[in-house]
Amino acid sequence: MELWEAIKGRRSVRSFLEKPVERALLERLLEAAIWAPSGGNAQTWQFVVVTEPERIRSIKTVSPGLLGDPAAVIAVCQDLAAARERGGTLGETFLAPVDAAMATENLLLAAYAEGLGTCVVASFHRGAVGRLLALPRRVEPMLLISVGWPAEDPSAPSRSGEGRVFFEVYNGPG
Amino acid sequence: MGQVELEERLFGLIGYMVTSGRNLLDETPLYGPFRLVDAASRLILLLEDEEIISSRLSTIRERIDAGKYSVMTSPGEFRTFLDSLVDALVDHMNPGKGKEVIRGKRIGKNKTNTGVNLGGE
Repeated sequence: MELWEAIKGRRSVRSFLEKPVERALLERLLEAAIWAPSGGNAQTWQFVVVTEPERIRSIKTVSPGLLGDPAAVIAVCQDLAAARERGGTLGETFLAPVDAAMATENLLLAAYAEGLGTCVVASFHRGAVGRLLALPRRVEPMLLISVGWPAEDPSAPSRSGEGRVFFEVYNGPG
Repeated sequence: MGQVELEERLFGLIGYMVTSGRNLLDETPLYGPFRLVDAASRLILLLEDEEIISSRLSTIRERIDAGKYSVMTSPGEFRTFLDSLVDALVDHMNPGKGKEVIRGKRIGKNKTNTGVNLGGE
């Protein structure tokens, strides 16, 4: 798939078919994720892939933003202790979430290219999800990504660079 | 639906509401009304799957599901959607309008069987 097609075609999908996503495909998505840029080359991200329906149901119970019934949920996590060791305060408080976001976008585009639907979820209880995934204390779930075969094809919200993109200086003549 | 499955689905709904209550302390205020109407939709769906069906409740659920995601794209549109939803509630308070409760199985997301009428108000 051509890159621009993926960038502009990807949507947040919240309705999924009852059809599993095979493990090899999920592993390919994770490969895309770990090829994302990483501040200071820290690569302190960690990913937990959940496919057991019972566990997904439990995660959904404490994740109001996780809508629909995806075949898989990927928790994009950060080892904050390692991020602090490698990048100091900046590493822990800024680079860790930014790295998680960059890895997530790679994963979303790779998933779209495979015909999968995804949705990024920030509305979840971090402590509860951490317990359900047996995360050690130093590892923080930053985002959840629902993954499945799409049962909908949402239209694109409008996008505009007007008032958001400037050249040379903020609010310059252009 | 068996008692155990019903309890599990109710637990899921309660979890959604309780966790929303906590998370909304830190989230955009617009998500509050979204979670409320979405919980209403989930409750109606659960009742339908339990074969407790009324046309007015089904209508409300369909309206919620059709309009709730406007919260993501347009706060103004979302407000209009909520107003129209309340208007629809008032419409359905009129005597005899869609109050009948039907026992029947839901077919797909939006259709219902006609079944035994348990008696309207």
